[in-house]
Amino acid sequence: MKLEVVRARAERFGGIVEVARPRALLHVDREMMRELGQPESPLWDSPAESDAPLVAPTEVHLVLSRRCAAGCTGCYVDATPHGPALSLDEARRILDELASMGVFHVALGGGEALELDYLFEVAAHARAVGITPNLTTSGLGLGARDAERCRVFGQINVSVDGVGEGYRRARGFDGFAHAERALRLLRAVKEEVGVNCVVSRSSFDGLPQVARLVRRLRLNELELLRFKPVGRGARLDEELTPDQARRIYPLARRLMLRHRIRVKLDCSFAPMVFWHRPSARAAAFWGVQGCVAGDVLAAVAPEGHLMGCSFAGPPEADARVPGAVRAAWPEGFSSFRGFVRSAPEPCASCEYLRLCRGGCRAVAGAHGAFSAPDPGCPRVQEWSARNAADRQVAASSFALPVVRG
Amino acid sequence: MLWRKGRVLRATFGCNPNSSSLGVDVTFLLFGATFASALALVLGALLRRPRAP
Repeated sequence: MKLEVVRARAERFGGIVEVARPRALLHVDREMMRELGQPESPLWDSPAESDAPLVAPTEVHLVLSRRCAAGCTGCYVDATPHGPALSLDEARRILDELASMGVFHVALGGGEALELDYLFEVAAHARAVGITPNLTTSGLGLGARDAERCRVFGQINVSVDGVGEGYRRARGFDGFAHAERALRLLRAVKEEVGVNCVVSRSSFDGLPQVARLVRRLRLNELELLRFKPVGRGARLDEELTPDQARRIYPLARRLMLRHRIRVKLDCSFAPMVFWHRPSARAAAFWGVQGCVAGDVLAAVAPEGHLMGCSFAGPPEADARVPGAVRAAWPEGFSSFRGFVRSAPEPCASCEYLRLCRGGCRAVAGAHGAFSAPDPGCPRVQEWSARNAADRQVAASSFALPVVRG
Repeated sequence: MLWRKGRVLRATFGCNPNSSSLGVDVTFLLFGATFASALALVLGALLRRPRAP
């Protein structure tokens, strides 16, 4: 067996190579790049160990529209039936620029991307310029013909936040049967089909049922996405309880072992994982990280805004303007990239800071301070509780009468 | 071929269709640092391996 390099790009540390089977992105050092016959890069004249960002994101989330008929109660992009959308030409131009920068993957989503009649043209264009298009969909209205056309995508995940009644409770409408049908249709034409499940306070207990569904339909992954109080979700009181935050990582491992399925947690769950003190070396090797916005990830909103991630962050440029993404990437995204350098306590003294990066900026921002530690992190909660107790003790000590001998 | 200098520093498998899921692959994090080091060597060897004629 040989791993065939399908694409590669130089980085300061060496480079990133994409292999097709198994599908993977491998970070390799300069020596390995030379051994693979890659051309010398001027980037290798500077020190390999550097805090400089990657030369480009490895993946960009292209939010094609805020258009969706489903009206989910917690929709984080606040999608409506007539929301704005990138045009086909705009999407193509953005893909051209991303390809020229060396981006490997795009995640196409919305809104409901399948409601756009040009979705498959966008995907075909991504393939044509050497980018792997991936898709998230609710699956509503997906027919056999469209399922067949979905072969163009790499990974496709269907949003299933609960099974049966659990789906209705989480999303506000009874769409589970449609989602399950879509999963079956997609699985019939390709193997890289999985489930996205938003983990909220009320959907938490239904996760084992979702894992069973993934196993039963022979899907290739279950992705657990932390509920974030943004978009319409800001009106809901659905963030995980402190107890759930501590239990999510052990639960994910249990589901993986019991059902023999691949389970992934999104980057916003990183604090909940690192609280359990996994091997930092292993985590670094497997690319386990907290907020990856402005690092390996960027997002483009339907209005053209280039952002660190699709949940939060100031617009860095208008991605529809030719050359704007390339120009903004090297120096932009300071609100994300600056966190590690200026992290407040308790992140500053956390041994996982460089991996965790303070947790989710979107959640921190939703709680009022974008550059504060993630308030859902168990370590942050423990630290806050200790500080509150210390303050109480200090206040009560101050009130003690002074006894003079 | 394992004695060569070039190294694999990081490996992420699969594709991410989401806005935010480049996070934690529980499947792989179960295995510790020793397994990761061993896999880095294997991946390196498979990358360098000459193409079959």
